[in-house]
Amino acid sequence: MKFVDEYRDAELGRAVAAQILATVEPGRHYKVMEVCGGHTHTIYKYGVDDLLPANVELVHGPGCPVCVIPMGRVDDAIAVARNPEVIFTCFGDMLRVPGSAGTLLDAKAEGADVRMVYSPLDALRIARQHPDRDVVFFAIGFETTAPSTALTLMRAKAEGVPNFFCFCNHVTIVPPLRALLESPDLRLDGFIGPGHVSTVVGARPFEFIPRDYGKPVVISGFEPLDVLQSVQMVLTQLAQGRCEVENQYTRVVPYDGNVRALEALAEVFELRPHFEWRGLGFISQSGLRLSEAYRDFDAEVRYPVPGIRVADPKACQCGEVLKGVIKPWECKVFGTACTPERPIGTCMVSSEGACAAYYNYGRLARERQVV
Amino acid sequence: MTGVDGVPACADDGSCITCSDQGLVLRIVGLAADGLALCVDETGRFEEVQVDLIDSPGAGDVILVHARVALVRLARAEVRA
Repeated sequence: MKFVDEYRDAELGRAVAAQILATVEPGRHYKVMEVCGGHTHTIYKYGVDDLLPANVELVHGPGCPVCVIPMGRVDDAIAVARNPEVIFTCFGDMLRVPGSAGTLLDAKAEGADVRMVYSPLDALRIARQHPDRDVVFFAIGFETTAPSTALTLMRAKAEGVPNFFCFCNHVTIVPPLRALLESPDLRLDGFIGPGHVSTVVGARPFEFIPRDYGKPVVISGFEPLDVLQSVQMVLTQLAQGRCEVENQYTRVVPYDGNVRALEALAEVFELRPHFEWRGLGFISQSGLRLSEAYRDFDAEVRYPVPGIRVADPKACQCGEVLKGVIKPWECKVFGTACTPERPIGTCMVSSEGACAAYYNYGRLARERQVV
Repeated sequence: MTGVDGVPACADDGSCITCSDQGLVLRIVGLAADGLALCVDETGRFEEVQVDLIDSPGAGDVILVHARVALVRLARAEVRA
C-alpha cells in the first residue's frame, strides 16, 4: 500500500540502524522521548528498539489521549451519563477507563444509555435521530482530534441542533512537554515529536524546546522506518552539537500546520486556566473548553458535574510511566492485577498506552536484549 | 472487531480506531454538498469524512483522516474527472 509499505522495508531499517550505531558515542547514555503514544505502539509492534544500541534508551511520553485523563474526569463523565434524558457517547477506549467507582461500561450495565461512537459526527447523527433526548459527546484528544469536535460543533450550530452537547476534555501538547522539561527527575537528550498533532499545529510550537531547553526535536511519522530515522536525526543533531526542530514527516506535516484547523479551534474552544493530567497534575492552560459562542453546547453548563479530584489507586504507577520515570514492567501491578482485560490504570487501556504496548508485545518483565 | 466486554478493540494493524487518535489513509470517492466526502480505505471499507479543512478536495485525492476529519492531503488524484 502506498504511503505504508515503503516505510516498513527491513533492509532499509538495518541500514539506518547501522548509521545510528556509527553516530552514537560509546559510553554516553542517550534518553530520547517519543511524545506520542502512536510512536510507542510502533516501536514495540515492529521491534524498533531492538535495532538500537544499548546506550540509546527510548522514553515514553504523555501523548496518549486516553492515558492522560484523570479519574475525576471519568467520574464527571459518569455523573452526566447517569441523567435519564442523556444519551452519552464516547470513543470505545474511554468506556473501559476506571473512575473511582467503576467505568462508563459499568454505568451502561446499570442502565445508563452509553453508546460507543467513532467520531463526534456519529454523535451528532444520534442527536438528530433523537430530538427528545440530550446527546452528550465525551471529547478527548490532542490537537489531532480537537478539529473533528470543532467542525462537528460548528455543524451543529449551523444546523441548529439544540440537543447536542460536548463534555470537553481536549488537551494541548505543548504545556505538558514544558512541564516534563521542568521536571527535576527526568533527564532527556531529545524528543521524537508528534507527527499528526503537527499536521494541525505545525512544527513551530516546538521551537521553544531547542530555544529554551537546548534539546533537539524531530517531528516523526508513525511507520517503523519513520521512527528509526527520527532517532537517527536526533542523535545526529547531538553528535554535531546542533539543537533545532527538524521535520522527518515532511510528506504529511507542513511546517505551519493547517491554518483552517487552527481557525476552527480558535472559534470553538478557549483555554482553561488549568487542567488536571494523570500523573502530571494540574498544568496551566493545557486544556480546552468551549468558547462563549458555543456555551449552549457545553455539557458542563447543561449538567452539574462533581468536579472532585480523585487520587489514582496506590498500586497504579501510570504517573511515573507517563513521565518516563519508570518502565511499565517496573510497576508492581503490571501484567498481574493490571492487564488490558482488567486495567487498573489508563496506560493499560488504550493500545497507545505504554503499558498496553509492553504487555501486548511481550515486554513483560525485563529490559530489552540488545543484539 | 470486538474485544473484551463487547468493546471494539484495536485493529490488527495496530490502528487505534477506538479512541480515533489514529491517522487513517483514505481515498476520496465522491463529494457531497455539505463538506462531507465518501471515502474508501485499502480494504474497501467506506467512510463519510469531513473535508472542510483541505483546499479543493476532489475524487481520487488521498487524505489523512483523524476522527473522520481530513487533516491533510497526501496526494492529489492522478486523473480528476
